[in-house]
Amino acid sequence: MEDLTRIATYSFELFGMRLTVNTETVFNTWLIMVALFALSLIATRRLQKLPNPAQRLAELYVGFMDKLTRETLETTSRGYVPLVATMFVFLLLCNWLGIIPGLSEPTKDLNTPLSLGIMGFFLTHTAAIREKGIVAYLKDYCQPFFIMAPLNVVGELAKVVSISFRLFGNILGGAIIIAVVSHMVYSLVLPPFLYVFFGLFVGTIQAFVFTMLTITYISVAIK
Amino acid sequence: MDGITGAELIRAAALLGAGLAMGFGAIGPGIGEGFAAGKACEAIGRNPDEAGLLTRTMLVGQAVSESTGIYALVVALLLIFVVKG
Repeated sequence: MEDLTRIATYSFELFGMRLTVNTETVFNTWLIMVALFALSLIATRRLQKLPNPAQRLAELYVGFMDKLTRETLETTSRGYVPLVATMFVFLLLCNWLGIIPGLSEPTKDLNTPLSLGIMGFFLTHTAAIREKGIVAYLKDYCQPFFIMAPLNVVGELAKVVSISFRLFGNILGGAIIIAVVSHMVYSLVLPPFLYVFFGLFVGTIQAFVFTMLTITYISVAIK
Repeated sequence: MDGITGAELIRAAALLGAGLAMGFGAIGPGIGEGFAAGKACEAIGRNPDEAGLLTRTMLVGQAVSESTGIYALVVALLLIFVVKG
């Protein structure tokens, strides 16, 4: 039970700083990147008017994300579609990786959700400044009146914490429940159902929610 | 008699606190998510054509209201695994 929260790390000295790399997380993330690269190669090889199944699946997915993003942002521009579609499919594979024995979800390590959350934070505010201009952007912090500005800043920072901790907590909580139940029933009968529920179902919903909230934050910021 | 040392007391308090945090922290999200699901069911019953949009909105809303429960989970995990006494 003690190895539940331990993460494989490798640390070294560089220019007088102590750097620590979470080897397992990095390895699993690279594994997913390779898998995504291979999948997209398969889907876009020999593009035809009458698509083969892989191409059709990719077209369905891209079409769905395109519609969803532009409906939520209420715009006709396709600027955010590639990012949103990539983020969803990356998180989906991340959350599903845990059902393969011996591999663990990269999202079980707080660093992955937090870095994606911080990326979304900078993206949101860059989009807001570009869309509204710096003056209107700063004026938004003084709503409803000037004294509220610190509270609005804290609210923006809290969004990053809440979005990343939500994904991290859900995935880690699921992994812990699976580990505890497997320990109790000696990995008989029950764990496969738990893997389906926590790995596939909760993983899909949380990946969707993370993506959806990122789009929603952008759409609130640019309005 | 050995007695209970300070470290054991801290460990016991941390485990008890983790249980309490999770137990009380789960009440709010449970009620809130159930309420959201009930309202979504009503809305789908009245307007079945919009089922996809309603389900999507419901799931996002539930995930947001779940975050307080997740904070309780993170606090409980910190108490269990980080506080060594």
